[in-house]
Amino acid sequence: MTIERPDPQPYHVVIVGGGGTGGALAHDLVLRGFRVTLFERSEVTSGTTGRHHGLLHSGARYAVKDRESAVECIEELQILSRICPGTFECNGGLFVAVTDEDAAYEPLFFESCLASGIPVRRVSRGEALRLEPHLNPDLKMAVQVPDATMDAMRMPLRFFATAKAGGAVIRPWTTVTELLVEDRLVTGVRVRDLTSGAEEEVRADLVVNATGPWAEQIAVMAGCDVPIRPSPGVLLAVRGRWSNMVINRLHASGDGDIVVPQRGLSVVGTSSWVVDDPEDLGVPEDHVERMYAEGAKMIPAIRHAERRAAWSAARPLIGSKDAESGRELSRTFKCFDHRETDGVEGFVTISGGKGTTLRAMAETTADVICRKVGVDAPCQTREVVTLPHTAYYVA
Amino acid sequence: MTDTATELRTTRVVVSRRKEGDDPATPRHDTYDVAVGPSSTILDALVTIRRGQDATLTFRHSCFHASCGTCGMRVNGREGLACVTPVPDGDEVVVEPLANLPVISDLVVDMNVFYDEFDEAGRPLMRTSELVSGGGIAEGIEELVRFEDCIECGICLSACPVAGSDPRYVGPAALAAAWRVVEEPRGADPGPVIRLMDDEQAAWRCHLAWECSEACPSGVDPAGAIMRLRRAAAAARVRRLFSFGGNR
Amino acid sequence: MAMSSAEPRRPASGPARRRGVVGWFDPRGRRLGGLAFIVNRLTGLGLVLYLYLHLGILSLLVQGPGAWDTFVDIALSPPFLLLDVVLLTGMLIHGLNGIRVGLVGLGFVASRQRALLISLMVVAAVVALVGAIRIFGD
Repeated sequence: MTIERPDPQPYHVVIVGGGGTGGALAHDLVLRGFRVTLFERSEVTSGTTGRHHGLLHSGARYAVKDRESAVECIEELQILSRICPGTFECNGGLFVAVTDEDAAYEPLFFESCLASGIPVRRVSRGEALRLEPHLNPDLKMAVQVPDATMDAMRMPLRFFATAKAGGAVIRPWTTVTELLVEDRLVTGVRVRDLTSGAEEEVRADLVVNATGPWAEQIAVMAGCDVPIRPSPGVLLAVRGRWSNMVINRLHASGDGDIVVPQRGLSVVGTSSWVVDDPEDLGVPEDHVERMYAEGAKMIPAIRHAERRAAWSAARPLIGSKDAESGRELSRTFKCFDHRETDGVEGFVTISGGKGTTLRAMAETTADVICRKVGVDAPCQTREVVTLPHTAYYVA
Repeated sequence: MTDTATELRTTRVVVSRRKEGDDPATPRHDTYDVAVGPSSTILDALVTIRRGQDATLTFRHSCFHASCGTCGMRVNGREGLACVTPVPDGDEVVVEPLANLPVISDLVVDMNVFYDEFDEAGRPLMRTSELVSGGGIAEGIEELVRFEDCIECGICLSACPVAGSDPRYVGPAALAAAWRVVEEPRGADPGPVIRLMDDEQAAWRCHLAWECSEACPSGVDPAGAIMRLRRAAAAARVRRLFSFGGNR
Repeated sequence: MAMSSAEPRRPASGPARRRGVVGWFDPRGRRLGGLAFIVNRLTGLGLVLYLYLHLGILSLLVQGPGAWDTFVDIALSPPFLLLDVVLLTGMLIHGLNGIRVGLVGLGFVASRQRALLISLMVVAAVVALVGAIRIFGD
C-alpha cells in the first residue's frame, strides 16, 4: 500500500504526549508533509488512552443528551473500521432494559439514535437471551447498536506505527521539562531522555500539547491556561467472558452501565468524579462495589466473578472549573490556539474527546496547524489504511 | 493507585536499574520504601515511586488490567504482569525486568526483538482475532470474533529455560502464534507454516519445561501449541515419506 | 545545545539477560513443569554417571574373585544400599517422566500433561518406597 505523500513541508512540529491523540496527530501531520517529533515521558498510551474498557463507541450512549458527541462517534466508528481493519471485535452491542423505567426510556432512546444516524434494531427479551445467555433473565427488551470492542492500546498503536514508518520520530521515555519561550513565542522544548539522563533542546515551528488530563501542567510552562479538568472513573475487570456483544444499560448515563468483553475478561465501567491532580487518582472501594452491583444487574454472573483488576482512568473534560461530578461536562474535544486564548504564538493544545475520536481530534488539530503556518495540505487519514500494530516494533 | 482504605503498610521495593552506558551484566539495585494497601499491585507501587520518589524510574504499562501485556516483569524471581501482581507479604520485594530480552532502561525491555521472532511465523500472519463458534449471532453481524488470548507480553519467553540458553530459539510466543494459524487456517494452506516451524530451532527445540504455559497470564498454553505443532509436523513428514515422490 | 529536530534516536539496549545453561538448574521462580525439567536433567546426568561407575565395577571381575568379593562386602553395606535406592528412584523418575515427554512431546495428551506428570511421579514414589523396603529388608 503506497501512501500519497505530498511535497515535504519545511515545518517541524513537536507533539508533547504519546496518547492516542498524539499518535493520530503524528500520523496526520506526516501525511501532510510535516516533520514530526513526539515526546512521551513513559510508554505510549500509558496515560488515559490505554486504560479504557475498549469500547468502539456507536455513540448511542450520547444520542439523547449530547447529540454532537453521538454523531461524532458513529462517523468515526465507520472510518476507524475502514482504516484499522482486523482491530475490532465487531460483534455489536445491546442496550438492555432491566426495569420498567428503562423500558419507558426506550422510545426516546431509539428515536434519538435514529436522529443521530446510529442504526438500531429492537430485540425481544427472548432473542436477547438467545444471543447472550448470561444476560439478566428479568430483562424487558433490548436495542441492538453497532458497538464494537477494541484493544485500548493496540488500536492507537497502529497510528504510531504508520507515523513512524512515514518518518515521524517517536521518543518515548523522554520527558518535556520546559517549553522554550521567547517573547510570547514558543520556539521548542527542553527534554530529558530518561534512558540516559541526557538533556537536549529541540527547536520546533509549533508545539502541540496533547497530554490529555495533564494538559494544564504543560500549558502553564508557556504561561497559558486551558479549562481542562481531570475526571477519573473506576473500572473493574472480572474473570470470564460473559458476553461477545457489548452490554449497556438502557437508561440515561449512570455508574457501571456498561460491560465490555476483553478476551477472557469482562470489564465493567464506570464512575465519575473530578480531581485537580491527574497523578493521584485513587481507586475508591465503594466505586468498585458499585461496578459489581450495577454490572450484575445486566449480567448476574458478574456478582460472584473473581476480580482480575480494579483501576482508575482520568478523562480530560473541557469545561468550567466549577463542575461537580464530571458528567455535566461535554465529551467532545477542542483545539485551543493559544494565540487566541493567551496571546502566545507557536503553541496549540488539543484536549477533551474520547478514545474513539482520536482521528477526528488529530484532523481538527492538523487543520489548525496548517492554517497557522500557512500550509494548504488536505487531511488523508480518512482513507489511508494504517499499518498493523506490530509494525511499531521495528528499529 | 493507592487504596483509600486505611490499612496502609510500608514495604521495601528493590528495583533493578540500568541506564544507557551502564554495564548490563551488573545492574544497580535501588531501594524504595513505599506505602501500600491490601489491594495494591506492583504497578501501583512503581507508579507511587515514580510520582513521589524517583521520576527517573522507567517501566512499561498501559491498560492496568492484563490486556495490553506491557507491564511484564519478574517479581521475586517469577514472571508476571505488574498490574495484576499483588505486592507480596513480607518486608521486601525484588522487581527485575523480563529475562531473555535486551534491557533498554530499568524495567523496560526491547520488544522489537520479541516481535522479530514473530517474523519467523510471519508477522503479517500473526492474527489479532479468532472466530467464535457456538454463539448467537445478531442480525447484521457477519461472524463473531474475539481477540487472540496472546497479549504479546513476553512472559513466556522470559520463563523459558531453553530461550535462556539459546538466543536462536524462536520461542514459545512465536510458536503459539504459528499454531493458531495452523489451527484456524481460514482457507489458506497451513503447510508452509508447519514446514517453517518443523525446525530444530523452532518446534523441536522445546524440552517441555512447561514454564511458558504456567506463567502465561492470558491462558494461551504455548507449550500445548508447540506439542500440537510437533504432531502436525511429524504427521506431515510421515505423509511425505509415504507419498513415493508424488506431488507434495 | 539546540537542534532543529530530534534525532531518530533508538535507545541503545544491552544484551539480553539470559540465565544460560547454568540457569537450567536454577529452581528460583520455577513452577512444577520447570522443576520436573530440572529433575529430569539431574537424573539423566546421574544415570550417565552410574553407567560409567557400573562399567568400572564390572571391570573388577577381570581382576579375579578377591577383588569382586571385596566389592560385594562394600555393596551390602547400608550406605551403599542407600545409593541403590537413590539409583532406583532416579531411574523411576527419569523413565516415567520420559514416557510423559515422549507422549506429550509428539502432541498426545498435551492438555492433561500436568495430571500425567503428577500421577507418574506418584507411581515413581510408591515403587521407589516399595523398592527401598525390599532393598533394606532382605
